[in-house]
Amino acid sequence: MNDRKVLVVEKNGYQKQVMAIYQFISDHLYFNRPDIEIKGEPYNSAILLSLLTGLTKGKELIIGEPGLGKTTSAEFICSLAYQFPLGVIWGSEVSGHPEQTEEKIIGRPDLGKLNRGEEDVVWTNFSQMPVKIVDEINRLPETKQSMILDGVDRGNWEYLNEMIINDEYCLFATANYQDGGTNTLIAPLVDRFDVIVESRYPGANLSFLIGKSHGKDHILRHPKYEKDLYRVLKSKIAHQKKIPKMEEICNAFGEYVQETLGVKPLKREDRDRIRTEMESLDLDTDASAFARMLLAELSFCDRYGQKRVVENCEEGCHYTGYLCRQIKNCASNRLPTSIKLFSQGLAWLLGDSEIDIEHVKAVMPFTLSHRVQWKDEVLSQKERAKRDDPFQIFLAKEAVKTVSQRYREQSDHLKDALAVGSKIFQGESLEPLEGDHPIYTEIKKDIRHRRNH
Amino acid sequence: MKNACSKKNAPNPLQQKVYNILNPFEEFKTFQFHKMEIPLDQIVQSTEVVMDQIRLGYERLLEEEAKELVWMVQYNTIIKAYEVAEKYIKEIDYSAEDIEDFCFALESPHKIPYLIPGPAGIYISALCNYAKEEEIVLKLSELKTEINLIGFRLPKGKRLMVEGDTGDFTGIGLEGGELEVEGNAKNWTGAGMRSGKILVKKNIGLHTGEWMMGGEIYVGGRVRGLGNIVEGKVYERDKLVYPGKVRYPNPYY
Amino acid sequence: MEEKRLQALQALIEEIWPRLKRKHLYPEIPIPKIGKVHDPLDEGIEKNDPAFRGVGLEMKDKQMTINPAFLSTLNGKMTEENLIEALLDHGITHYTFCPWDFQTHLTLYAEAKKVMGDKESAKQAANYFIDVIADTHCVKRRATEIPELHRNLKKGAIEEVIASLYQRIWGIDLGISPSKKGNDEVVRRLSRIPYLDRSRWPESIRKFARSLKPLLILEQKEKEARGGKGESNPQGKHDLNHYSYEEIDQGLRDYAQKTMGLSEFKDVVEDFSAELKEMGYGIEGGMGRGRGAPIDADVLFYMKLAENYSIPLKKIPLEEAGTLHPHSHSPWEVGSPFQDIDIWTSFGKIMPGITQIWKKKEGKGRGKIEGAPDCLIIIDSSGSMINPRKNLSYAVLGAACVTNAYLRNDSKVAVYNFSDAPMGGRDVLDFTANREEVYRVLCKYFGGGTALDLEDIMPMIKGKKEMDLFIITDMKITNLETLIGFFGKIQNRITAVHIGENPYASRFEKAVEKRKNINIFKVKKKEDIPHIVLGSIREYFNPMSRRR
Repeated sequence: MNDRKVLVVEKNGYQKQVMAIYQFISDHLYFNRPDIEIKGEPYNSAILLSLLTGLTKGKELIIGEPGLGKTTSAEFICSLAYQFPLGVIWGSEVSGHPEQTEEKIIGRPDLGKLNRGEEDVVWTNFSQMPVKIVDEINRLPETKQSMILDGVDRGNWEYLNEMIINDEYCLFATANYQDGGTNTLIAPLVDRFDVIVESRYPGANLSFLIGKSHGKDHILRHPKYEKDLYRVLKSKIAHQKKIPKMEEICNAFGEYVQETLGVKPLKREDRDRIRTEMESLDLDTDASAFARMLLAELSFCDRYGQKRVVENCEEGCHYTGYLCRQIKNCASNRLPTSIKLFSQGLAWLLGDSEIDIEHVKAVMPFTLSHRVQWKDEVLSQKERAKRDDPFQIFLAKEAVKTVSQRYREQSDHLKDALAVGSKIFQGESLEPLEGDHPIYTEIKKDIRHRRNH
Repeated sequence: MKNACSKKNAPNPLQQKVYNILNPFEEFKTFQFHKMEIPLDQIVQSTEVVMDQIRLGYERLLEEEAKELVWMVQYNTIIKAYEVAEKYIKEIDYSAEDIEDFCFALESPHKIPYLIPGPAGIYISALCNYAKEEEIVLKLSELKTEINLIGFRLPKGKRLMVEGDTGDFTGIGLEGGELEVEGNAKNWTGAGMRSGKILVKKNIGLHTGEWMMGGEIYVGGRVRGLGNIVEGKVYERDKLVYPGKVRYPNPYY
Repeated sequence: MEEKRLQALQALIEEIWPRLKRKHLYPEIPIPKIGKVHDPLDEGIEKNDPAFRGVGLEMKDKQMTINPAFLSTLNGKMTEENLIEALLDHGITHYTFCPWDFQTHLTLYAEAKKVMGDKESAKQAANYFIDVIADTHCVKRRATEIPELHRNLKKGAIEEVIASLYQRIWGIDLGISPSKKGNDEVVRRLSRIPYLDRSRWPESIRKFARSLKPLLILEQKEKEARGGKGESNPQGKHDLNHYSYEEIDQGLRDYAQKTMGLSEFKDVVEDFSAELKEMGYGIEGGMGRGRGAPIDADVLFYMKLAENYSIPLKKIPLEEAGTLHPHSHSPWEVGSPFQDIDIWTSFGKIMPGITQIWKKKEGKGRGKIEGAPDCLIIIDSSGSMINPRKNLSYAVLGAACVTNAYLRNDSKVAVYNFSDAPMGGRDVLDFTANREEVYRVLCKYFGGGTALDLEDIMPMIKGKKEMDLFIITDMKITNLETLIGFFGKIQNRITAVHIGENPYASRFEKAVEKRKNINIFKVKKKEDIPHIVLGSIREYFNPMSRRR
C-alpha cells in the first residue's frame, strides 16, 4: 500500500500540466461559468469532467440545448489531451441520425478486394482513433447505440471476422433533451456511461463574447499534421503499426501547440503515467463507507431482497425515509466503478494523496443521475423546485446531500460496523453491529453468507 | 477401507477456496473506533436503566393487582396495591427526577402500554415515599391525564410538591408529610389522612377530608364540598371552614 | 490598520477552513467571512464597555460571518484561531446536525411552546436547546475549542445554568462555581436529557423547557423591565435567516405532512408569520404580493399538505403518423425480402454480411398540444362535513390535490362550495389560475344544510364540453334528485367522491351506474380521498384515455 503511494507525483508534476490545459480551454476556447466548487475552488463541470473522462478512459454523456458547445467542448478536450488536430477529430466523429450504418461507424469492406472476392476491412477513423465522439447519440437507432457502447466497453471493434483493438480510448457522446426527432437512450445503454454532464448556457455576456470570437478553433488546427494523420489512418498497414506513427505526428502537433499557444498537451506516455498515479490512490475510510451507504440505499429492498423496476414498494415499510423508497430501479455495478474512477481522477488532479469524501461527493451526482429512475411522486414534488442544474442532475445532487447528512450523523458507528464485519470475516466471533440504515442489513447479509460457508 | 481413509485425508478443494474468500470489508480491517464517552452518556444510560426498572415494577403491579386491567378503588385494594408497589420499589435506586419522568412515560403508549390511574397513582406515591430526597417536585402541568391517589401515605419529613392538577383521592392516608398542589385537586382529597398538611393552590372537589383524622388542608380557591371529617382542619382562602359551619355541597357550583 | 486586521483574520479563516471542513465531513456551506455583524442589542454600547456582549457569529442563508469586534472582547483569554474555530464549529453543527432543516426547527419550537405557552419564551427555550445540542455534539464527536469559549464568555443567569450543565455533562471544568440550590436542581434535571438522540428531541425539548421555565420567565420579565432589550447570543441567533426560501417552503411542506394537524401548523405559522413575511415568504411567492397581506395559515396548511400528493406534469404525447418510412438499416439475411434492400449501403452486393435492408417505422410527431381541460370542483361544506379551519378536512385536501394537478398543467379551476345554497350558503369562484383564491374558497365553511342550486353551476358548465367535474360530498343532499338529473344530461367526465355509507349515496350510485362518464368512489377511510382523486386524474391525463 505504501509503495503505491510513493508513485504519486507532487503537485507540480502532471497535475499542473493538466490544470494548464483546463485553464486554457476555459480562457480561450469554451467560455462558461464555474458551476461547482471543490475544495474551495470553483470549476466548470463540463470541462472538468470531460478532462477526467479523457484521462481515465471513461465514457461521458454530454447533454444540453442545441448550440451550447456540447460537441465542441469534447473536441477541445480530445485535441489537447490526446494531441489530435481538430480536423482529424472532426473527421472521426459519428453523427447521430437513423441512417447510420455499421459501415459508417466501424468499417467497411475494401470494395476493390470485395470485387475480387477477397475480404478485407477498411476501418473507419472512428474505430481507429482513441478519442471517439458521437454527436447526438440519442438519434441513433438502439442497435447502433448498443454497437458503439459495446465496442467502447470492450475496446475492440469487429467487422467481417476481423478485429482491431484499442488500447486507449475514451468516448464522448452528446444528446439533446428529448424532442420530436429523438429516440430514447434506453436504460441499459445509459448505464454504460460513466458520467453525465450538462453543457450550459454561459450567460448573455459570455455568449456575446463567443459570438465575437468566432473561428477560435482554428488555433487547434494544423493542415499538414491533419493530412499526415489522415494518410496514416487510411493506410493499409495493420492497426497496431499505425499507432506509433500516429503518435509521432501527434507529438509533433503537441510541440506546435506548445510553441504557438503556450499550453503543453499530453503525450501517450504522460497519460499512461497519469493513469498509473491515479490508480495508486485509494478511498479513505470515510469515502468508502459513504459510498457503500449510498449504494445500499440505491439497491436495498427489505421485502423483495433488492430493488427491481417491476416491483413496487409497500406501504408502511420501515425504510420509507431512504432513497430506496424514492427510486424504481436497482443501482448497477457500473456505478461504483464510475465513482471510483472519477473520484480517483479528481483526487489526483487536486494533488491529494487519498480520495476523501469531498472528491466522492463532487463526482457522485454526475455518475448517478442518469442511472436512477425516480418514482413519479418524487418527480412531481420536485420538478418545479428552483435549481440551476437540469432536473435529473439536481435530483442526484439532492440525493447525495441527503445521504451525506445521514452519513455525518452515524459515520463512526458505520465505520465501526464495517470494521466488525471485517473481523468477523477473518474468523473472529463477534456480533455485527445494529443500525437502522439498510447498510447494516447488507453487512449482516454478507456476514451470514460468510458464516454459512 | 484404505480408500475411505485416503479420501478423508485429501484436502477438500471447496474448503481451500474458503480461505481465499473475498473480504468486502478488507479496507476497514485496521479501523479502530475510539468512542469518546462524556458523562452525559453515562447519565442517560443509567437514567434509562432506572426507568426500565421502574416501568417493570409498575407492570408487575398491574399484573398482580389489575387483572384484565380493571381496578376498583376500595380500601383493601389500595392497601394491597401499595404493599405490592413497595415490594418492587425497594429494589430500585432512583431519584426524584425519575419519578417525574415516570409520570410522563405513563402517557406514552409505546413506553408504557397501560395507564390505569389508580395503580399508577399508588405506585407514584410509593416512589415518592421511598425516595431518598426529602423534598420532591413533580412538574406535571403538561400531563394530559390527572393522576389519582397521589400523595398516598406521605410520611412525616417528606414534602411533595406537584405543579399541575391532580385527580381524585389526592393525599389520602397522609401520614405527616406535606403535600402541595399548585393546581386543582378533584374529589376525596385528604380522605383518611392522619396528620400532615395538604395545600391546594386552586380549587378542590367534593368529599374533601372524608374520614380525615388529623392534619390540615389549605385550599387557595373554592372547596366544592366537604366530606365526613372526624378531626383536623380545612381552610378555604385562609378562612377556617372546618371545624366551623358545616357546608353541604352546592350542586350548582 | 482595521483593514489589515480584517485581512489577517480572513487569511486565518482560509487557513483553518479546510481542516474544519474535513472535521465536519465536508458540509456544503461556503467559506465563512469576517465582517461587521449588526446586533441592535449592542447599539450605543462601546465594545470596551463591560456591558457589551456582542454577537460572535452570524449565520445567514448558510453564509457564516465572524464579528471581529467580538473577537477583540476575548483578547488575551483565547487565541483568535481557537476562538474562530470554536465559533465555526458551533455554526457548522447547526447546519449539519441541529436543527439541520426548517422542519426540525419548527418541530422543536412547537414542542417548546406546548410547555412555555408563549411565543417569545418558546423561541428562547428552543434556541438554548439547539445550542446545547450543537455544542454537546461537537464536544463529543469532534475535537473542539468550544469548552474554552464557554469558559471565557460573559454569562447571564441562564448562561450560568447552561455552563453548569455543560460542566456536568461534558466532564470539563468551565470555571463555574457551585451555584444556588435552585440552579443545582435545574442542572440536575437538564443533565438527564439525551441531547444527542435525535429521535427523542421532541420529548427532550419539552423536558428542557419544563426545567428551564422559571428562569426563562424571569429573564422575560427582566427583558421587559429593560424595555424589551434582551441579551445577544455570542454564538449567533437562530432565526429564519439560516434558511433559504426553498428550504422554508420544503420545511413547511414536511411539517404539514408530519403533524397532519391544522391547529398545530396554524399555531406555528402564525407565530413565525412576521419572520416569514420579512423574508418575503407569502403563500404564493413572496415579493410583489405586498408584505401587508397576512398569511392565511389555514390555506397555507392545505397548500403545503397537498404538495405532498402530486402527480407528474402531463407530457405532450407522441403520436404516430400512420405511414411507414425508411428509418434505419439492419443486416440482410438469406430469406429476407429483396424489396427493402438498400443498394447503396450494400455496395451493390447481395450477400450476407454486406447487404443492408431498410427498417421502416411509422413516423412520429408531436401530438396536438391539447393540454388538460379545466376543472370544476363542487365541494360540500354543510354541517355534516368537517370544518376545514378547525380540523383537517380530507375532503378539502382532496379538492386541493385536484386543484394542484389541474393548475400545474396550465388549466383553470372553478369552485362551487355549497351548504344550503338556496339560502345563500354557497360560494362560487369562476375559472381561475390563481391558486390562492381557489384555496380560500375551498376552505370556506358554512356548516348549514345541504342543497345545491343548479343555477349557480349551469353558467360555469355552459359551453365547456371538455371540462372535468369533481364532486366531494357525503351525498346527504336534500335535492339529490335534481343533481342526478343534471348529471344525466351532461357528458363531462365526473368524479364523485362520497364519504360514508348512506341511502342517499346508494340512490346516487344506482341512478348513475350506467353512465360511462361518471366514476363514483365510496370512501371508507377519509385518508384515501387524495389518492382516489389523483388516481382519477392520472387516468384522465393519460393520452390513451383521451382518445377513447
